Amino acid sequence: MSAEGKKPRYMLVFGGLAALTAIEVAVAFMGFERRVTVMILIGLAVWKALLVAMYFMHLKWETRALKILAAVPFLPAAIMIIVVLMEKF
Amino acid sequence: MTSHSVDAGASRYEPTTFKVKDKKLGMWIFLASEVMFFTGLIGSYIILRWGAATPWPVPGEVLNVPITAGNTFLLICSSVTMVKAFAAIEDGNQKMLKVWLLATAIIGACFVGVQAYEYTELVHHGFLPSSGLYGSTFFTMTGFHGFHVTVGVLCLLWVAIKAFRGGYTQADHQGVEIIGLYWHFVDLVWIILFTIVYLI
Amino acid sequence: MATMASEPTGIPVRVEEHPQSFIRKYIFSTDHKVIGIQFLFTCLFFLLIGGLLAVMLRFQLGFPGAALPGGDLLPDTMAPDGIILPEFYNSLVTMHGTFMVFFAIMPLLVGVYANYLIPVQIGTHDMAFPRLNMISYWMFLVSGLVMLSSFWVIGGASAAGWTQYAPLSASPEASGVSTGQILWILSIAIFGFSSLLGSINYITTVINQRAPGMTWFRLPLVIWALFITAILGLLAIPVLTAALIMLLFDQTLGTTFFLPTEGGQPLLWQHLFWFFGHPEVYILILPAMGFVSEIISNGSRKPIFGYKSMVFAIIAIAFLGFIVWGHHMFQSGMNPALGMSFMISTLIIAVPSAIKVFNWMGTIWGGSIRFHTPMLFAVGFVMLFAIGGFSGIFMASSPVDIYIHDTYFIVAHIHYVLFGGSLFAIYGAIYYWFPKMFGRLINETAGRIHFFLTFVLFNLVFFPMHGLGMEGMMRRIYDPSQYEHLADIQDTNTLITWAAIGLFISGLYFGVLFFWSLFRGKPAPDNPWEATTMEWTLPSPPQHGNWKELPTVYHGPFEYSHPDVEKDWLSQNERPDVVSPAHH
Repeated sequence: MSAEGKKPRYMLVFGGLAALTAIEVAVAFMGFERRVTVMILIGLAVWKALLVAMYFMHLKWETRALKILAAVPFLPAAIMIIVVLMEKF
Repeated sequence: MTSHSVDAGASRYEPTTFKVKDKKLGMWIFLASEVMFFTGLIGSYIILRWGAATPWPVPGEVLNVPITAGNTFLLICSSVTMVKAFAAIEDGNQKMLKVWLLATAIIGACFVGVQAYEYTELVHHGFLPSSGLYGSTFFTMTGFHGFHVTVGVLCLLWVAIKAFRGGYTQADHQGVEIIGLYWHFVDLVWIILFTIVYLI
Repeated sequence: MATMASEPTGIPVRVEEHPQSFIRKYIFSTDHKVIGIQFLFTCLFFLLIGGLLAVMLRFQLGFPGAALPGGDLLPDTMAPDGIILPEFYNSLVTMHGTFMVFFAIMPLLVGVYANYLIPVQIGTHDMAFPRLNMISYWMFLVSGLVMLSSFWVIGGASAAGWTQYAPLSASPEASGVSTGQILWILSIAIFGFSSLLGSINYITTVINQRAPGMTWFRLPLVIWALFITAILGLLAIPVLTAALIMLLFDQTLGTTFFLPTEGGQPLLWQHLFWFFGHPEVYILILPAMGFVSEIISNGSRKPIFGYKSMVFAIIAIAFLGFIVWGHHMFQSGMNPALGMSFMISTLIIAVPSAIKVFNWMGTIWGGSIRFHTPMLFAVGFVMLFAIGGFSGIFMASSPVDIYIHDTYFIVAHIHYVLFGGSLFAIYGAIYYWFPKMFGRLINETAGRIHFFLTFVLFNLVFFPMHGLGMEGMMRRIYDPSQYEHLADIQDTNTLITWAAIGLFISGLYFGVLFFWSLFRGKPAPDNPWEATTMEWTLPSPPQHGNWKELPTVYHGPFEYSHPDVEKDWLSQNERPDVVSPAHH
């Protein structure tokens, strides 16, 4: 697997992750409305997670089949959480 | 159905569908199961918190956010050193492979150290697994993540030792790649955990 | 060897160091065939334990308060003067379910046959990760021994049902069982990890190590079933592991996940357990369906009817299996709207199973049927699984389930699908692959006797339970004669107990037959059943590494009665134009 142009990207991704982390911490204490805060934080966390998966774990350059394999468990995971949340304990 | 031609759809040494060799494919499959494992823990947390009769402590009330934010940054750094180790051996650079691998292991160990310190502080202040649902969920989730990090550090040391013995080449360095995948995954889980447990 | 009309692929099998010592060859072996056989012997032992536990609990139900024969050997904490105590009865019920599900049926289906068959049926020399495979077996053995040891600790074995509902399972104060409960949890956690290693191996091997020409839609249905089962296990078992950890912490660390006094949610345990538990029951049936497809096709000398629809049915069952778990919880007090959606998804999942039943019938129809012992068990499977499926339709409807939940109607269903279904298929598989595994034949007449005894006695034990359930006999009760509404039907319980004792004895008969045949069975040829999958082109038993050179696959796995060939079957790695062409 060739490494052209990939090394610089790692540091860029690192910068992005660091920045996003700082933003997250700031947002958590900014006192937005609860629902807004939660949505922003989850969004930022997912963005960071995707950066790690796509660039550090090389998913971006793998076959579609492997991308699907990586994504597959999130479906039953989501089903479990969403369905049980509907229990409204 | 007579056929005179051989339909060689899958050659033994050329993996087709995923175009990924056995060990790497096995690691991805293992990580899929780990997603489900953490879903069990984190999902339960979400469910218990959503339905909790008593309000949950606000971020920062019980837990030390600044220190853990720093710890999060540390773990991200270790992911970078890990990917640099992989890039090094892809280029055939044995020296940097060893340097970056050791760096990753050391930073990972620091992460665990900071977490252990955090735990002792919390316990001193009377916050235990038996401190209601908050304590139960906090210690179980972060504890098992920390356990995964610790196992990762041990594996990293193993890989580093093999690297020092010249066990990896530019042509064959599967071990580095797969410990890398595991390590990034552990970082990924922490990204989610940190947000949910410390910030929300 | 049978007609070898395959072109050599020129791909040599990787040369491996061949272990010579007895220990490396048979005890700590990484050869998938040895591991499969290790699983077989271990599981037959656990099957015996599970059966013994069943006989004991049936004795109490059939003759409430009577002294169990040989019961004075048991300690007073279990059965003073041989009379089973209620607490011990609860342990019997719990451990019967636990041993049967986790240590007998599941590993007999997967641990034995995934290990043994995957490499030889797809055309490779071993699993992708042979050492992980070995670890998987030894972890399994350890987990079984841990479970067995729980009988001998203070407080006895777990008594919270194999489903371990909280708070009974989470709180020693509630159950009176502490160490035994912890051992149960640890045992199943270790088991889960063993299973996980197995799944990773099976999935990677099937994806990456198919022989040239073995495309996805040329795979035997056994492989499809085992592959999809491995995926189910991969995704479902970790959730159980997480739940077990939380349960263990509730028991030991004072956490309160499932304990309501401190804000915990007992219902959360049920959701987590059944989120695992429902895919688990499909793990328990899909491989059995794979075996049955193989055997029925072979016994009918016809290709399986609707191969592709069989594959899609397996996939549909697996997928739908993730969204039906709530049907175990209709009576738990969960959100009724959720109950309705689970009811709908559960009724839908009957469809792919029914498709499979019709396809088996379509396979047998017009076939040139050979009633060898495996075929008897396979056909028995179809009949009994269908009955179990019918009762499932009743239970799927939540209004009906209000009445029959937690009664013996459910017990009947469970056993029709797990025994009449899975275990019959396992017996069929054992008879079918015994010649390949051990190089010996099991006497056909003796096998037929086993089948008929099992079939008749099984129905005598479990069919009446449908009626008992409708009459209101609840599950897991200690003494049915205490209940006024059950007094009239106590005789049925006694009859069932006698039949159960007979069923256990027929199981012992099978054990004797199995071991006798190991040493005294007639030597087996390579392909006694004249079957088409590739393991039958290897010697019985195959050598270490299976093939000297990997085979080439030319067609699908069910080429029976091929029009261009004189003999009535074609192995997957035989070319029809080269092998004894038919004279038209």
